[in-house]
Amino acid sequence: MRLSYPGNVKVVKVPCTGRVDVLLILRAFESGVDGVYLAGCLEGECHFLRGNLRARRRVEYVKGLLEEVGLGGNRVEMFNMSASQGQRFAQFAQEMTERIRLLGPSPVKKGE
Amino acid sequence: MIVGNRKDFSEILEKLGAARRVLLLGCNECVTVCGVGGEREVGVLASELRLYWTKEGETFEVREHTLERQCDYEYIDQIRGFADDYDVILSMACGAGVQYVAEAYKTKLVLPAVNTTFLGVTIEQGMWSERCQGCGACILDMTGGICPIARCAKSLLNGPCGGSSEGKCEIDKETDCAWQLIVDRLKESGQMERYEEILPVKDWRTGRDGGPRRRVREDLKL
Amino acid sequence: MEFSDRATHSDRAKPIGAVMVVGGGIGGMQASLDLAESGFYVYLVDHSPTIGGVMSQLDKTFPTNDCAMCIMSPKLVDSGRHRNIRVITNAEVKEILGPPGSFEATIIRRPRYIRADKCTGCGECAKHCPVTAIDSYNEGMSRRAAVYLRYPQAIPKIFLIDREACIGCGLCERVCLAGAVDYGDRESEEKISVGSVILAPGFEVFDAKRRPEFGYGVFPNVITSIELERILSATGPHRSHLLRPSDGAIPERIAFIQCVGSRDAKCGNDYCSSVCCMYAVKEAIIAKEHVPFVKPTIFNMDIRAYGKGFDAYYERAKADYDVRFIKSMVSKVREKQGSGNLLVAYLNEEGKASEEEFDLVVLSLGMTTSKSVRDTAARLGVKLNRFGFCETETFTPLATSREGIYVCGAFQSPKDIPETVAQASGAAAAAAEMIASARGTLTTKKEYPPEDEVKPEEEARIGVFICHCGINIGGVVNVPAVKEYARTLPNVVHADENLYTCSQDTQEKIKNAVKEHGLNRVIVASCSPRTHEPMFRETIREAGLNKFLFEMANIRDQCSWVHMRRKAEATEKAKLLVRMAVANARLNRSLSETEVPVVQRGLVIGGGVAGMTAALRLAEQGFEVFLVEKEDRLGGNLLNLHYTIEGGDVQAFLRDLIDRVSHSSIHILLNSLVVDFSGVRGNFTTGVTTAPAMVHQKIQHGITILATGAEEEKPDGYLYGEDARVLTQLELEDRLYKGDWGQISNLSPEVVMIQCVGSRNEKHPSCSRTCCATAVKNALKLKKLNPAMNIRILYRDVRTYGFLETYYAQARREGIIFVRYDPEESPEVKKEGETLMISFEDKILKERMTLRPDLIVLSSASIPRENKELANLLKVPRTAEGFFLEAHMKLRPVDFASDGIYVAGSGHAPKLISESISQAYAAVARACTILSKENLLVGGIVAVVEGERCAACLTCVRVCPYEVPVVNVKGEAEIDIIKCKGCGTCAAECPARAIDLMHFTTGQLEAKVGALVGG
Repeated sequence: MRLSYPGNVKVVKVPCTGRVDVLLILRAFESGVDGVYLAGCLEGECHFLRGNLRARRRVEYVKGLLEEVGLGGNRVEMFNMSASQGQRFAQFAQEMTERIRLLGPSPVKKGE
Repeated sequence: MIVGNRKDFSEILEKLGAARRVLLLGCNECVTVCGVGGEREVGVLASELRLYWTKEGETFEVREHTLERQCDYEYIDQIRGFADDYDVILSMACGAGVQYVAEAYKTKLVLPAVNTTFLGVTIEQGMWSERCQGCGACILDMTGGICPIARCAKSLLNGPCGGSSEGKCEIDKETDCAWQLIVDRLKESGQMERYEEILPVKDWRTGRDGGPRRRVREDLKL
Repeated sequence: MEFSDRATHSDRAKPIGAVMVVGGGIGGMQASLDLAESGFYVYLVDHSPTIGGVMSQLDKTFPTNDCAMCIMSPKLVDSGRHRNIRVITNAEVKEILGPPGSFEATIIRRPRYIRADKCTGCGECAKHCPVTAIDSYNEGMSRRAAVYLRYPQAIPKIFLIDREACIGCGLCERVCLAGAVDYGDRESEEKISVGSVILAPGFEVFDAKRRPEFGYGVFPNVITSIELERILSATGPHRSHLLRPSDGAIPERIAFIQCVGSRDAKCGNDYCSSVCCMYAVKEAIIAKEHVPFVKPTIFNMDIRAYGKGFDAYYERAKADYDVRFIKSMVSKVREKQGSGNLLVAYLNEEGKASEEEFDLVVLSLGMTTSKSVRDTAARLGVKLNRFGFCETETFTPLATSREGIYVCGAFQSPKDIPETVAQASGAAAAAAEMIASARGTLTTKKEYPPEDEVKPEEEARIGVFICHCGINIGGVVNVPAVKEYARTLPNVVHADENLYTCSQDTQEKIKNAVKEHGLNRVIVASCSPRTHEPMFRETIREAGLNKFLFEMANIRDQCSWVHMRRKAEATEKAKLLVRMAVANARLNRSLSETEVPVVQRGLVIGGGVAGMTAALRLAEQGFEVFLVEKEDRLGGNLLNLHYTIEGGDVQAFLRDLIDRVSHSSIHILLNSLVVDFSGVRGNFTTGVTTAPAMVHQKIQHGITILATGAEEEKPDGYLYGEDARVLTQLELEDRLYKGDWGQISNLSPEVVMIQCVGSRNEKHPSCSRTCCATAVKNALKLKKLNPAMNIRILYRDVRTYGFLETYYAQARREGIIFVRYDPEESPEVKKEGETLMISFEDKILKERMTLRPDLIVLSSASIPRENKELANLLKVPRTAEGFFLEAHMKLRPVDFASDGIYVAGSGHAPKLISESISQAYAAVARACTILSKENLLVGGIVAVVEGERCAACLTCVRVCPYEVPVVNVKGEAEIDIIKCKGCGTCAAECPARAIDLMHFTTGQLEAKVGALVGG
């Protein structure tokens, strides 16, 4: 669809959001990303039946962990969309980018 | 299995105090199964510590290590080579594991990251429930296989108290009245006559009240 | 040559194991691939210099907005390189002689003037050609050289000379290093022997000049829908910039005029072209996505969004894209002087004449057949209907009038891509059945070179190939800079750039690079792995590398396309994506796939028309089949139907089908339910319990076809169930059949039919597809019984697509009144005493009408039959409305994401009988790609347990959606690689981290994430 979205969004391909574990999200923050979101299939339309529902629970859990360590739970989110909803993909990319901009850069930037 | 809860991150931080070289020690037994102290949870807590201390601009070292069991000295011995490199061993095992590690490394500060809560079962994925208090004198044969010690808030031995209402305990509506369960079970299994038998006053000396317990089996000893 | 009956008979016993497919569009390619994958040799003959058909010209496809070329190109490449498909382009079929089963076809190959055996597709000739000719691929809106390739991804990638434009200067001959130019080339004939034939020649768009009132060819800013497709396309004349022809300005107000050359008796096309409503909606949406201030308006009579997911798309166009829909036919378009703008005159729904100004007018052209196709049909003795489409019968929708010649796609009737693809598979099954005994006699098996062992500890040697994708990537991203950057990354020993990495010649280039540089990992930085990864994997496998040593970075969809205006930033991001791919590729490992034997037996669930047809067709192809039906008799929905709109006798057909299904290879299990299901493609085990004795048996089978059907919903409201005069269409049909009219004494009875009862609402957003035709069918039947009957059909859009339109026209001619209603103003039915009353808004009279009907007939929704349990057992997904969800809306219409399980009939979405039959054949063709093989490969991306670390906690056992893991006797979790579908949920949750997902290992994902930040 070629809808423009912010260039700071980078995609890590997984077979299903069900593959994404709590630790991977935390590791991403450790490596210095400012935010993480999962782009899963629409609820009820997971090609692996319920991977996206598992992922949503994990995201909720990570939100709590990020609060605990003082990064803010809002830096992580779960979005659902179908393969045909490029519009939505771009919209969420925009939304998340704006949200993160407001929060500012992650305080966990590695010393460079 | 032994079930526990992860301590709050803030409490763990407080207990760690100024220690920044941390050996985070998991256990691949009960606490793995109940999702509180296995390799994944070790990873999560380690990650939390790293995120927090990086954010605070501190210098630190967190090492993750998970033992097969923290209640056997052979396994505990496996960290001997590097335990001394750390200020503190933060154990994610049950209370037994934490103590046994502390016994093995007498000069080290050994801290618990987990509150050990009960002996229980998996109700469903992600949900556990208490079943046993280790009283040392099992009466499950008398009570339809349901333990009134562990599952009745008052550990009553001869029927429910007045707080039993519609099968639930007065402590909260989610908790079944153990005696309701016992009666139902005795009925179902045709053993209602057991309910008539008066259980004698419990001798708590076999339990915790008799002091720390120990078990010996001569034939197994070396 | 003459054949006596006897000779014919003996020839049929030994048919030829090859099929000729005429037409290389998406349908022809699908049919060819299905046949070649099930043991038949295929000649794919196309009149064009390249295969790909009209789909190659489309920009996007509805309702998923997938890029047409992107989803099609893997099929192009597969067809082009399949060892059992021979592509013959620039050719016509002259004649077909001989009996079915052993035809001899004569092919005329037009001269190409470029030798196929020498041309490398380098394009040097076109670069030097001094001639500019009109580019028909871009619908005449751009220019090309006289020596050309129809489009960049063309298969075969062999140039040709357009001799009409060529001036014979000889430049190309001089610059061609391969010596491929041959001015002396001339027409040649070739005879090929085939057992059966499939006609898939597709369609031609209607000639817009035949409707002069719209000013096409006169006013420059009146363009056709296919021209707009090209304009929107990245490879189009304006590189996807939406510009109008007269002045190159961006048009703001765009009008789409529907039904140009369709539903039009004046030009002889009184059928509906079936696809124009949806493509207009799509083009409106895409135009809006290109230029947000565009205001599209679609002038239409009805919006025929009758396919799966179409209504939701239509609703999105209205709600999210502000596309305006005006229910009206445009009478005239004239140009406003000086501006190039257009004035569109129309009668609005209230009957008032209006005129509105637009910047651009798009004519939604219908589908017709080309003269050359009609001529070919005449030469082959294949009958056409009065519109020039191939004539087929309701119950044999794939058979032409000539035995052994089958048809699919738009040539059979106007249709969209998924229906073409499904019908193409269907035709493949029909063509295969005819020659099933010759399976495997003419095909050869793919032999790969032995795999070079790449040990995990071996140092990675990575080759990175960066794609310009024409200008798709190269126009935004500085590809040479990315290449130079890639060279600096660890373990990268070779980096190169290509114009089109997906082209056939680049595959050779990659293979050579693997050998030359000793590569043991290959990365292509280009487009989406979803469409192109299989092809590149195949390439490196041909180079002797395990296919999992391949990695892709998507620098087009995730970079150049979406950061078009920020070139520097896009280049940096492309570098980063390549860096992530390298970090990941270093950890890619060879994954072995194991051969497992195929149980060459089928299971069909559901004994309706689709299920019975599927079972019968499988049996006729020589496979044993179990047919499971939960009721005590076969027939399904057909038991309630009596006649088709064309007048076909449903019960006679059903009796015949049931009769044939008692076949020596079909085991029919009535009163039976599937109670358990396990296994994978090639080897499933299904438990079936049969009432009344509740006998339980285990069936082993290699494929499963789900044909559980749909049923008419019992309506809610409109006094249904409270008054005997309110019926559903099925109930009406039953009465019509039985002649049971007891209670209507009125001489000119009043009948009102209400459409969309239970469809197109919140609970059930989809159109039920068949009810418009059913209402027309039953209304015509009523009229026939009693011409004095007053029949009104209250509708929202009349969706009599394809040739069904002719019955709608007939209904109007016979005085059946069609009254449109809006869902906000649904008709109201009430009762005063014993009098039944219905009131509704009449838009023309602009008042509320109240009638006292003798009969109210509700066109109730088609809802899937109970299939939830079954879906759970088989682990196949369903839509929110409960229909089975196919693997891909466009190109895998009968496959499930889980291999070896297929869907047919109304359980997929509501369907006509003929469509269910086509789809059942299609499922059989897909199934035969497995059943025809003795062994299959399994494994690859699966979860693997490191037993020593396992705490046997059962988490994996509980979280696996397919119930694959078990704790074995060693007390360790065990995951059967044959069953694992590779979702990775277990790996993400194992508390001991004892499980990893191959190819997406924790190490790889962490490395990739790690490469994402810093630099």
